[in-house]
Amino acid sequence: MGSPGLLRLRGVVKRFGSFTAVRDIDLDIVEGEFFTIVGPSGSGKSTLIRLLVGMDEVTEGEIWLRDKRIDKTPANLRPTCMVFQSLALFPHMTVGQNIEFPLKLRKEPQDKRRARAEELLDLLRLPRSYYDKRISQCSGGERQRVALARALAFDPEILFFDEPLSALDYRLRKTLEKELKDLHARTGKTFVYITHSLEEAMVMSDRIAIMKEGRFEQIAVADEIYSAPVSRFVAEFMGEVNLFPLSAGADGRIASDALSVRPGMRLSQLTPGSGGLLMVRPEYVRLAGDADGFDFSLKGIVHGEYALGSRIQYEIETVNGMVTVEKLREDRLTATEGQTLVLGFNAENTHFIGEAA
Amino acid sequence: MPTSRSTRIVLYVYGVLVIAFLYIPLVSVGFASVSKARYLTFPIKRYSTKWYGEALGSSTVSELLTTSMTVAVLVTVISVVVAFFGALAFARYHWRFRTTFQKLILLPIFFPQTVLGLALLMWFNSLGIIPTWKTAVVAHLVWIAPIATLIVAIRAYSFDPALEEAARDMGAGTFTILREITLPLLMPGLVSAGLFAFLLSWGNFPLSLFTTGADSTLPEWLYAKMVSGYSPLVPTLGVMSVVGSFVLIIAAFAVARLLRANKETSAVQD
Repeated sequence: MGSPGLLRLRGVVKRFGSFTAVRDIDLDIVEGEFFTIVGPSGSGKSTLIRLLVGMDEVTEGEIWLRDKRIDKTPANLRPTCMVFQSLALFPHMTVGQNIEFPLKLRKEPQDKRRARAEELLDLLRLPRSYYDKRISQCSGGERQRVALARALAFDPEILFFDEPLSALDYRLRKTLEKELKDLHARTGKTFVYITHSLEEAMVMSDRIAIMKEGRFEQIAVADEIYSAPVSRFVAEFMGEVNLFPLSAGADGRIASDALSVRPGMRLSQLTPGSGGLLMVRPEYVRLAGDADGFDFSLKGIVHGEYALGSRIQYEIETVNGMVTVEKLREDRLTATEGQTLVLGFNAENTHFIGEAA
Repeated sequence: MPTSRSTRIVLYVYGVLVIAFLYIPLVSVGFASVSKARYLTFPIKRYSTKWYGEALGSSTVSELLTTSMTVAVLVTVISVVVAFFGALAFARYHWRFRTTFQKLILLPIFFPQTVLGLALLMWFNSLGIIPTWKTAVVAHLVWIAPIATLIVAIRAYSFDPALEEAARDMGAGTFTILREITLPLLMPGLVSAGLFAFLLSWGNFPLSLFTTGADSTLPEWLYAKMVSGYSPLVPTLGVMSVVGSFVLIIAAFAVARLLRANKETSAVQD
């Protein structure tokens, strides 16, 4: 993504008294991308989005939108718009009045407003008869669409989302995630989304930023975050993971308390005399009778079996603690609880996280 | 839960007794007002509407009603305005002395009104202000404005602060937010605060007694006449006052219903 940033943050800091919620953030958001900030609660992501929208003021640093510095511009004068977690639909107005609200503020004539509202109802696949409905008569999914329509009516340079799907049930959330991605493609707008759900981020985003304690741990495309996390935090945040401590002697030979390593194995990132964590996702761990043909292996006792729908998850007790293994349903193990097995995996399916991280 | 026959009977009897306890005194005032006799005796021997005619023709009565009405209307208007901004400060904005403000503003409600009235009278005297119906307006406000604020604050607490933020985010300035979002959302609270303010002022006796000076409101006059110089004009005016309040409440409900109906029809047309 070589194009210049539409939204640029330089050294952004936000403090509340002695508490620092956002620490020195630099970020470039590219025009037209779907950028998601993921983090646990308290990571500072909500504070950050409030700074971006203009509802809070930065303590230090600069925010630039194209060639204009906007960090001192109040929310009502910024050409951006946010879909709130609570959606913030005005209960005393109809669906149509809600959608037209930003247009009414711009004093657009009634007939133009109505035409635009109807266009947006079509875009969001809501029947035009909803124009005169009250918000209280709409279901959760419909409200979501109305909130989106209203934000799009504003025609923002960037559309921000503050966890708008978090209150919905699983199935509706899944549907709306795909619809949002689709809407992003159709409108060509820049979307900046925050969520605590990695799954949500993975489905929709072009790029993901993982936030922890007011800082970005990693910014990368979804695949890279999943397969090559820079730290234990990111690895564990991105779903089930197995981590094994490793170190390399002065001669580059790999030593591990838990793993048997194939003789002559080398890891390029593991420089002589250093150490770190070897990461392997549960779907890459094989279960076998012996260690033949694996780069790394260890013994374990089957502890439990859990059905996850299309996949089956196994918890296997080893000297490294519980190791998680996943199989497709059709590859279900014949092994039973208490049985001893060999777990093996190969270097190409692993990722090494250096000591410092 | 199914109720047995005996339980039902007990419930009915209880209900009727409670209603009787509440309303018999009011009804008897109604009867007294239509008695032809000078003094109240039961059973009433001859009925007459003479005192109503007298009340409507009397200049004292019209003066009383004017004073009471002026005080009540002023108290209502000022209370609603104060309550609107007070409730916003109370419930919407976070500022340093907010919790102190919340407690202090409610304190006058807990003062016995006679104590409050006396305190205000002493205060007016020490300032050299001669008490009239205008000082009564101030006195009523001290007690009623906090109640009105509380009523509006309950409403203000119940709506999502994100609504105002969303409006701002879409380009609305402070005044537009107030007009388009805050005011319409607080309207039901403002209407009930106004109703309460009017009724509490209209029927208030202890504060008026201390602070109206030479002027007199309806409740004060009723009391004065009960103490000396009873005439059936007392229950007559009492009934007229109650009826007036009822008419106001019914009118308010009718307006509210009309507004809602209007909204609903505009919502289903198309």
